[in-house]
Amino acid sequence: VRFTVERVIGLVTFQDLGHHGRMHLAVPPGGALVPELLVASNRRVDNADDATCLEVQGRVVIRATETNETFDVSSGPSRCAYLAVRGGFLAGHRPLAVGDVIASTTAPPTTVRVAQPRFADGESVTIIPGPDLDAFGADALTILVSAPYRISPASNRVGTRLEGPALPRRADYRERSRPMVQGALEVPRDGQPIALGPEHPTTGGYPVIGVIASAELGRFHAIRLGGSVQFRIAASRVTSSR
Amino acid sequence: MKIEALGDRAIRFPRPSGPSARAIVAAAKTWPGVVDVVVTREDVAVYFEAAPSASSIDLGRIADLANARDEGPAPREHVLRVVYDGVDLEAVATATGLSIDEVIARHQAATYIVDTMGFAPGFAYLDGLDPALELPRRATPRERVPAGSVAIAGAQTAVYPTESPGGWHLIGRVVDVTMFDPTTGPLLALGDRVRFVA
Repeated sequence: VRFTVERVIGLVTFQDLGHHGRMHLAVPPGGALVPELLVASNRRVDNADDATCLEVQGRVVIRATETNETFDVSSGPSRCAYLAVRGGFLAGHRPLAVGDVIASTTAPPTTVRVAQPRFADGESVTIIPGPDLDAFGADALTILVSAPYRISPASNRVGTRLEGPALPRRADYRERSRPMVQGALEVPRDGQPIALGPEHPTTGGYPVIGVIASAELGRFHAIRLGGSVQFRIAASRVTSSR
Repeated sequence: MKIEALGDRAIRFPRPSGPSARAIVAAAKTWPGVVDVVVTREDVAVYFEAAPSASSIDLGRIADLANARDEGPAPREHVLRVVYDGVDLEAVATATGLSIDEVIARHQAATYIVDTMGFAPGFAYLDGLDPALELPRRATPRERVPAGSVAIAGAQTAVYPTESPGGWHLIGRVVDVTMFDPTTGPLLALGDRVRFVA
Protein backbone atom coordinates (compact mmCIF):
# COMPACT_ATOMS: atom_id res chain seq x y z
CA VAL A 1 0.00 0.00 0.00
CA ARG A 2 1.34 3.40 -0.97
CA PHE A 3 0.63 6.63 0.85
CA THR A 4 1.22 10.23 -0.15
CA VAL A 5 2.35 12.57 2.61
CA GLU A 6 -0.03 15.52 2.49
CA ARG A 7 0.86 17.44 5.59
CA VAL A 8 3.73 17.48 8.12
CA ILE A 9 4.00 19.66 11.19
CA GLY A 10 6.95 19.04 13.46
CA LEU A 11 9.06 15.91 13.07
CA VAL A 12 7.73 12.67 11.60
CA THR A 13 10.21 9.79 11.23
CA PHE A 14 10.27 6.06 10.55
CA GLN A 15 11.12 4.18 13.73
CA ASP A 16 11.41 0.65 15.04
CA LEU A 17 12.91 -0.66 18.27
CA GLY A 18 16.43 0.42 17.34
CA HIS A 19 19.57 -1.53 16.50
CA HIS A 20 22.54 -2.21 18.73
CA GLY A 21 25.96 -3.19 17.48
CA ARG A 22 27.44 -0.06 15.88
CA MET A 23 28.14 2.14 18.91
CA HIS A 24 31.89 1.59 18.42
CA LEU A 25 31.41 3.41 15.10
CA ALA A 26 29.68 6.25 16.96
CA VAL A 27 26.25 5.10 15.75
CA PRO A 28 23.71 5.02 18.62
CA PRO A 29 20.93 2.39 18.71
CA GLY A 30 18.18 4.83 17.70
CA GLY A 31 14.59 3.60 17.72
CA ALA A 32 11.33 4.85 19.14
CA LEU A 33 11.26 7.40 21.94
CA VAL A 34 8.50 5.32 23.56
CA PRO A 35 9.08 1.69 22.53
CA GLU A 36 6.03 0.46 24.49
CA LEU A 37 3.74 2.55 22.30
CA LEU A 38 5.37 1.45 19.08
CA VAL A 39 4.82 -2.16 20.16
CA ALA A 40 1.21 -1.41 21.13
CA SER A 41 0.37 0.13 17.77
CA ASN A 42 2.07 -2.74 15.93
CA ARG A 43 0.06 -5.31 17.89
CA ARG A 44 -3.19 -3.60 16.94
CA VAL A 45 -2.49 -4.43 13.30
CA ASP A 46 -1.03 -7.88 14.02
CA ASN A 47 2.52 -6.82 13.16
CA ALA A 48 5.74 -8.07 14.68
CA ASP A 49 6.59 -5.90 17.68
CA ASP A 50 9.52 -4.24 15.93
CA ALA A 51 7.84 -3.44 12.59
CA THR A 52 8.55 0.06 11.30
CA CYS A 53 6.02 2.73 12.33
CA LEU A 54 5.77 6.46 11.92
CA GLU A 55 6.80 8.35 15.03
CA VAL A 56 4.81 11.58 15.02
CA GLN A 57 6.07 14.52 17.04
CA GLY A 58 3.55 17.03 15.80
CA ARG A 59 1.10 16.10 13.10
CA VAL A 60 1.01 14.15 9.87
CA VAL A 61 -1.64 13.56 7.24
CA ILE A 62 -1.13 10.67 4.80
CA ARG A 63 -3.44 9.47 2.04
CA ALA A 64 -3.58 5.91 0.75
CA THR A 65 -3.17 6.29 -3.01
CA GLU A 66 -5.32 3.25 -3.92
CA THR A 67 -8.30 3.99 -1.70
CA ASN A 68 -7.99 7.74 -1.14
CA GLU A 69 -8.48 7.12 2.56
CA THR A 70 -6.68 9.75 4.64
CA PHE A 71 -5.13 9.31 8.06
CA ASP A 72 -4.56 12.38 10.21
CA VAL A 73 -2.44 11.79 13.30
CA SER A 74 -1.58 14.42 15.84
CA SER A 75 0.64 13.83 18.87
CA GLY A 76 -0.62 16.77 20.89
CA PRO A 77 -0.83 17.22 23.78
CA SER A 78 1.57 14.26 24.21
CA ARG A 79 5.19 14.26 23.09
CA CYS A 80 4.69 11.65 20.40
CA ALA A 81 2.30 9.20 18.80
CA TYR A 82 2.88 6.09 16.69
CA LEU A 83 1.12 5.18 13.48
CA ALA A 84 1.30 1.53 12.48
CA VAL A 85 0.14 0.06 9.19
CA ARG A 86 -0.52 -3.63 8.65
CA GLY A 87 2.77 -5.19 7.49
CA GLY A 88 4.83 -2.23 8.65
CA PHE A 89 6.30 0.61 6.62
CA LEU A 90 9.29 0.26 4.33
CA ALA A 91 11.73 2.35 6.32
CA GLY A 92 13.29 5.52 4.99
CA HIS A 93 16.09 7.44 6.62
CA ARG A 94 14.91 11.03 6.24
CA PRO A 95 12.12 12.74 8.16
CA LEU A 96 8.91 12.82 6.17
CA ALA A 97 8.24 15.82 3.95
CA VAL A 98 5.08 16.87 2.12
CA GLY A 99 4.87 15.11 -1.24
CA ASP A 100 6.84 12.04 -0.16
CA VAL A 101 5.37 8.73 -1.24
CA ILE A 102 5.82 6.06 1.41
CA ALA A 103 4.81 2.42 1.31
CA SER A 104 3.86 -0.46 3.53
CA THR A 105 5.06 -3.98 2.86
CA THR A 106 1.60 -5.43 2.18
CA ALA A 107 -1.19 -5.17 -0.37
CA PRO A 108 -4.57 -3.56 0.45
CA PRO A 109 -6.80 -3.55 2.43
CA THR A 110 -5.15 -0.83 4.45
CA THR A 111 -5.24 -1.17 8.21
CA VAL A 112 -3.86 1.72 10.20
CA ARG A 113 -3.75 2.11 13.97
CA VAL A 114 -2.36 4.76 16.26
CA ALA A 115 -1.02 4.54 19.76
CA GLN A 116 -0.47 7.60 21.84
CA PRO A 117 0.57 8.09 25.44
CA ARG A 118 -2.05 9.33 27.83
CA PHE A 119 -1.42 12.94 28.80
CA ALA A 120 1.60 12.25 30.97
CA ASP A 121 2.89 14.74 33.48
CA GLY A 122 4.54 14.76 36.89
CA GLU A 123 5.70 11.18 36.40
CA SER A 124 8.13 9.71 38.89
CA VAL A 125 11.20 8.19 37.21
CA THR A 126 14.01 6.15 38.78
CA ILE A 127 17.66 7.17 38.45
CA ILE A 128 20.62 4.85 38.92
CA PRO A 129 23.29 7.11 40.45
CA GLY A 130 26.66 7.76 38.82
CA PRO A 131 29.06 7.01 37.34
CA ASP A 132 30.49 10.54 37.66
CA LEU A 133 29.38 11.48 41.17
CA ASP A 134 32.92 12.74 41.85
CA ALA A 135 32.16 15.63 39.48
CA PHE A 136 29.44 17.00 41.74
CA GLY A 137 28.96 18.58 45.12
CA ALA A 138 28.07 16.10 47.86
CA ASP A 139 24.41 17.20 47.93
CA ALA A 140 23.82 16.95 44.16
CA LEU A 141 21.71 13.75 44.31
CA THR A 142 19.60 15.27 47.10
CA ILE A 143 19.03 18.33 44.94
CA LEU A 144 18.15 16.15 41.92
CA VAL A 145 15.21 14.59 43.79
CA SER A 146 14.26 17.74 45.72
CA ALA A 147 11.83 19.12 43.14
CA PRO A 148 10.42 18.28 39.70
CA TYR A 149 12.27 19.19 36.52
CA ARG A 150 10.46 20.69 33.54
CA ILE A 151 10.80 19.02 30.13
CA SER A 152 12.06 21.85 27.92
CA PRO A 153 10.34 22.34 24.55
CA ALA A 154 13.89 22.54 23.11
CA SER A 155 14.17 18.75 23.57
CA ASN A 156 14.62 16.38 20.64
CA ARG A 157 15.55 12.77 19.86
CA VAL A 158 19.18 13.49 20.74
CA GLY A 159 18.42 14.72 24.22
CA THR A 160 15.73 15.96 26.55
CA ARG A 161 16.66 19.24 28.19
CA LEU A 162 15.56 19.54 31.80
CA GLU A 163 14.98 22.73 33.73
CA GLY A 164 15.00 22.75 37.52
CA PRO A 165 17.24 23.01 40.55
CA ALA A 166 20.83 23.47 39.35
CA LEU A 167 23.11 20.52 40.16
CA PRO A 168 26.35 21.85 41.64
CA ARG A 169 29.44 20.87 39.65
CA ARG A 170 32.86 20.69 41.25
CA ALA A 171 35.33 23.09 39.66
CA ASP A 172 38.09 20.49 39.63
CA TYR A 173 36.34 17.88 37.45
CA ARG A 174 38.38 17.33 34.30
CA GLU A 175 36.02 17.14 31.32
CA ARG A 176 36.97 14.54 28.72
CA SER A 177 35.13 12.44 26.18
CA ARG A 178 33.65 9.37 27.89
CA PRO A 179 31.22 6.65 26.78
CA MET A 180 27.53 7.57 27.01
CA VAL A 181 24.28 5.61 27.16
CA GLN A 182 20.65 6.36 26.44
CA GLY A 183 19.02 7.81 29.56
CA ALA A 184 22.24 9.30 30.94
CA LEU A 185 21.76 12.64 32.69
CA GLU A 186 24.69 14.68 31.39
CA VAL A 187 25.24 17.88 33.33
CA PRO A 188 26.87 20.92 31.69
CA ARG A 189 28.41 23.62 33.85
CA ASP A 190 25.10 25.45 34.20
CA GLY A 191 23.84 22.49 36.25
CA GLN A 192 20.74 21.82 34.11
CA PRO A 193 20.75 18.12 33.11
CA ILE A 194 20.24 16.75 29.60
CA ALA A 195 18.75 13.23 29.38
CA LEU A 196 20.23 11.45 26.37
CA GLY A 197 17.70 10.08 23.87
CA PRO A 198 17.79 7.40 21.14
CA GLU A 199 20.00 9.48 18.79
CA HIS A 200 22.49 10.38 21.52
CA PRO A 201 26.19 10.96 20.92
CA THR A 202 27.99 7.76 21.90
CA THR A 203 30.60 9.83 23.73
CA GLY A 204 30.26 13.05 25.67
CA GLY A 205 32.29 15.40 27.80
CA TYR A 206 29.85 16.38 30.53
CA PRO A 207 29.76 14.30 33.72
CA VAL A 208 26.83 11.92 34.25
CA ILE A 209 25.10 12.25 37.61
CA GLY A 210 22.84 9.28 36.96
CA VAL A 211 21.09 7.18 34.33
CA ILE A 212 17.34 6.64 33.97
CA ALA A 213 16.37 3.01 34.67
CA SER A 214 16.08 1.34 31.27
CA ALA A 215 12.58 -0.02 32.00
CA GLU A 216 11.34 3.53 32.68
CA LEU A 217 12.94 5.30 29.73
CA GLY A 218 9.86 5.01 27.52
CA ARG A 219 7.66 6.39 30.28
CA PHE A 220 10.08 9.31 30.69
CA HIS A 221 10.03 10.05 26.96
CA ALA A 222 6.23 9.95 26.94
CA ILE A 223 6.05 13.02 29.19
CA ARG A 224 4.80 15.94 27.15
CA LEU A 225 7.12 18.86 26.34
CA GLY A 226 6.53 21.49 29.00
CA GLY A 227 5.46 18.80 31.47
CA SER A 228 7.49 17.76 34.45
CA VAL A 229 9.29 14.76 35.91
CA GLN A 230 10.09 13.90 39.51
CA PHE A 231 13.26 11.84 39.88
CA ARG A 232 13.84 9.28 42.60
CA ILE A 233 17.04 7.41 43.37
CA ALA A 234 17.39 3.64 42.99
CA ALA A 235 19.36 1.68 45.50
CA SER A 236 22.95 1.51 44.23
CA ARG A 237 24.16 -1.78 42.75
CA VAL A 238 26.64 -3.40 40.35
CA THR A 239 29.60 -1.23 41.42
CA SER A 240 32.50 -3.32 42.60
CA SER A 241 36.21 -2.85 42.96
CA ARG A 242 39.32 -4.74 43.79
CA MET B 1 40.15 -1.74 39.07
CA LYS B 2 37.02 0.30 39.54
CA ILE B 3 34.00 -0.96 37.63
CA GLU B 4 31.11 1.46 37.60
CA ALA B 5 27.48 1.14 36.61
CA LEU B 6 26.52 3.22 33.58
CA GLY B 7 22.82 2.72 34.18
CA ASP B 8 21.40 -0.78 34.61
CA ARG B 9 22.53 -2.22 31.26
CA ALA B 10 26.11 -1.00 30.91
CA ILE B 11 29.34 -0.86 32.87
CA ARG B 12 32.32 1.44 32.55
CA PHE B 13 35.90 0.81 33.58
CA PRO B 14 39.35 2.28 32.80
CA ARG B 15 40.80 1.52 29.37
CA PRO B 16 43.76 -0.84 29.62
CA SER B 17 46.91 0.66 28.19
CA GLY B 18 48.33 -1.23 25.27
CA PRO B 19 45.63 -2.73 23.08
CA SER B 20 44.01 -0.69 20.33
CA ALA B 21 40.36 0.31 20.66
CA ARG B 22 39.61 -2.08 17.82
CA ALA B 23 41.14 -5.00 19.71
CA ILE B 24 39.23 -4.10 22.90
CA VAL B 25 35.92 -3.84 21.03
CA ALA B 26 36.46 -7.19 19.31
CA ALA B 27 37.36 -8.96 22.56
CA ALA B 28 34.55 -7.52 24.69
CA LYS B 29 31.95 -8.21 22.00
CA THR B 30 32.55 -11.95 22.49
CA TRP B 31 31.34 -11.78 26.11
CA PRO B 32 27.89 -13.30 26.75
CA GLY B 33 25.02 -10.85 26.43
CA VAL B 34 27.14 -7.96 25.13
CA VAL B 35 25.58 -5.91 22.33
CA ASP B 36 27.91 -2.91 22.10
CA VAL B 37 31.28 -1.61 23.25
CA VAL B 38 32.52 1.98 23.27
CA VAL B 39 36.17 2.83 23.83
CA THR B 40 37.43 6.34 24.49
CA ARG B 41 40.94 7.51 25.32
CA GLU B 42 40.52 6.68 29.02
CA ASP B 43 37.43 4.48 29.37
CA VAL B 44 35.71 1.36 28.11
CA ALA B 45 31.93 0.90 28.29
CA VAL B 46 30.30 -2.47 27.68
CA TYR B 47 26.56 -2.57 26.92
CA PHE B 48 24.43 -5.64 27.63
CA GLU B 49 21.14 -6.64 26.02
CA ALA B 50 19.55 -6.95 29.47
CA ALA B 51 20.56 -5.95 32.97
CA PRO B 52 23.72 -7.95 33.69
CA SER B 53 23.77 -10.05 36.83
CA ALA B 54 26.69 -9.69 39.22
CA SER B 55 28.13 -12.95 37.88
CA SER B 56 28.02 -11.83 34.25
CA ILE B 57 30.43 -9.01 35.10
CA ASP B 58 33.55 -11.12 35.11
CA LEU B 59 36.54 -9.36 36.63
CA GLY B 60 38.96 -11.86 35.12
CA ARG B 61 37.64 -11.23 31.63
CA ILE B 62 37.88 -7.49 32.15
CA ALA B 63 41.47 -7.81 33.33
CA ASP B 64 42.25 -9.98 30.30
CA LEU B 65 41.33 -7.09 27.98
CA ALA B 66 44.82 -5.73 28.68
CA ASN B 67 46.09 -8.62 26.53
CA ALA B 68 43.52 -8.24 23.75
CA ARG B 69 45.13 -8.69 20.36
CA ASP B 70 43.89 -7.22 17.12
CA GLU B 71 43.14 -10.31 15.02
CA GLY B 72 40.56 -8.76 12.73
CA PRO B 73 40.98 -8.08 9.01
CA ALA B 74 43.73 -5.65 8.09
CA PRO B 75 42.64 -2.06 8.74
CA ARG B 76 41.68 -0.18 5.60
CA GLU B 77 43.61 2.78 4.26
CA HIS B 78 41.60 5.68 2.84
CA VAL B 79 42.91 8.45 0.64
CA LEU B 80 40.49 11.36 0.84
CA ARG B 81 40.50 14.20 -1.67
CA VAL B 82 40.24 17.60 0.02
CA VAL B 83 39.57 21.11 -1.21
CA TYR B 84 41.33 23.32 1.30
CA ASP B 85 38.94 26.26 1.36
CA GLY B 86 37.66 26.12 4.96
CA VAL B 87 36.38 29.29 6.57
CA ASP B 88 38.96 28.99 9.38
CA LEU B 89 41.99 28.29 7.19
CA GLU B 90 43.34 31.83 7.42
CA ALA B 91 42.72 32.01 11.17
CA VAL B 92 44.53 28.70 11.63
CA ALA B 93 47.49 30.03 9.68
CA THR B 94 47.57 33.16 11.81
CA ALA B 95 47.21 31.29 15.09
CA THR B 96 49.93 28.76 14.24
CA GLY B 97 52.28 31.31 12.69
CA LEU B 98 52.39 29.29 9.47
CA SER B 99 51.49 30.26 5.93
CA ILE B 100 48.27 28.82 4.49
CA ASP B 101 50.35 26.65 2.15
CA GLU B 102 52.33 25.29 5.10
CA VAL B 103 49.16 24.47 7.02
CA ILE B 104 47.89 22.52 4.03
CA ALA B 105 51.22 20.80 3.43
CA ARG B 106 51.54 19.72 7.05
CA HIS B 107 47.94 18.49 7.17
CA GLN B 108 48.57 16.36 4.07
CA ALA B 109 51.95 15.04 5.15
CA ALA B 110 50.70 12.76 7.91
CA THR B 111 49.06 9.35 7.83
CA TYR B 112 46.34 9.39 10.45
CA ILE B 113 44.86 6.54 12.42
CA VAL B 114 41.34 6.16 13.83
CA ASP B 115 41.66 5.30 17.50
CA THR B 116 38.32 6.48 18.82
CA MET B 117 34.92 7.33 17.39
CA GLY B 118 32.14 9.33 18.99
CA PHE B 119 30.25 12.62 19.07
CA ALA B 120 28.11 11.98 15.98
CA PRO B 121 27.35 8.92 13.81
CA GLY B 122 30.55 7.94 12.02
CA PHE B 123 32.68 10.72 13.53
CA ALA B 124 36.27 9.42 13.70
CA TYR B 125 38.96 11.10 15.75
CA LEU B 126 42.12 10.93 13.63
CA ASP B 127 45.37 10.79 15.58
CA GLY B 128 48.65 11.93 14.09
CA LEU B 129 48.23 15.66 13.54
CA ASP B 130 51.44 17.65 13.13
CA PRO B 131 52.06 19.29 16.55
CA ALA B 132 52.59 22.63 14.79
CA LEU B 133 48.87 22.58 13.90
CA GLU B 134 47.60 21.98 17.44
CA LEU B 135 45.06 24.58 18.54
CA PRO B 136 42.39 24.63 21.23
CA ARG B 137 38.80 24.30 20.02
CA ARG B 138 36.96 27.44 18.99
CA ALA B 139 35.68 29.42 21.98
CA THR B 140 32.15 29.26 20.59
CA PRO B 141 31.06 26.19 18.63
CA ARG B 142 29.22 26.70 15.34
CA GLU B 143 25.61 25.61 15.31
CA ARG B 144 26.00 24.06 11.88
CA VAL B 145 29.04 22.53 10.29
CA PRO B 146 28.39 21.09 6.82
CA ALA B 147 28.82 17.36 6.19
CA GLY B 148 32.25 16.61 4.73
CA SER B 149 34.04 19.49 6.50
CA VAL B 150 37.68 18.75 7.29
CA ALA B 151 38.62 20.18 10.65
CA ILE B 152 41.35 20.25 13.27
CA ALA B 153 41.35 20.69 17.05
CA GLY B 154 43.82 19.73 19.73
CA ALA B 155 46.10 16.96 18.50
CA GLN B 156 43.51 15.57 16.09
CA THR B 157 41.84 16.07 12.75
CA ALA B 158 38.44 14.80 11.57
CA VAL B 159 35.90 14.90 8.79
CA TYR B 160 32.37 15.80 9.91
CA PRO B 161 30.33 12.85 8.53
CA THR B 162 26.97 14.61 8.78
CA GLU B 163 25.82 18.16 9.31
CA SER B 164 26.10 18.89 13.01
CA PRO B 165 27.15 21.53 15.51
CA GLY B 166 30.91 21.70 15.92
CA GLY B 167 33.70 23.55 17.65
CA TRP B 168 36.66 22.50 15.50
CA HIS B 169 38.54 24.73 13.03
CA LEU B 170 37.31 24.17 9.47
CA ILE B 171 40.16 24.01 6.98
CA GLY B 172 38.54 22.29 3.99
CA ARG B 173 36.06 19.72 2.72
CA VAL B 174 36.29 16.25 1.23
CA VAL B 175 35.03 15.69 -2.30
CA ASP B 176 33.69 12.62 -4.13
CA VAL B 177 33.09 10.65 -0.95
CA THR B 178 30.21 9.96 1.46
CA MET B 179 31.44 9.78 5.03
CA PHE B 180 28.18 8.43 6.46
CA ASP B 181 25.46 6.52 4.67
CA PRO B 182 22.39 5.76 6.80
CA THR B 183 22.06 2.31 5.20
CA THR B 184 25.64 1.09 5.01
CA GLY B 185 27.02 3.13 7.91
CA PRO B 186 30.24 5.11 8.30
CA LEU B 187 33.12 5.07 5.81
CA LEU B 188 35.74 5.06 8.58
CA ALA B 189 36.14 2.41 11.26
CA LEU B 190 38.39 1.90 14.26
CA GLY B 191 41.94 1.15 13.24
CA ASP B 192 41.60 2.58 9.72
CA ARG B 193 44.34 4.78 8.31
CA VAL B 194 43.60 8.01 6.50
CA ARG B 195 45.60 10.30 4.23
CA PHE B 196 44.45 13.56 2.71
CA VAL B 197 45.36 14.73 -0.79
CA ALA B 198 44.42 17.96 -2.54
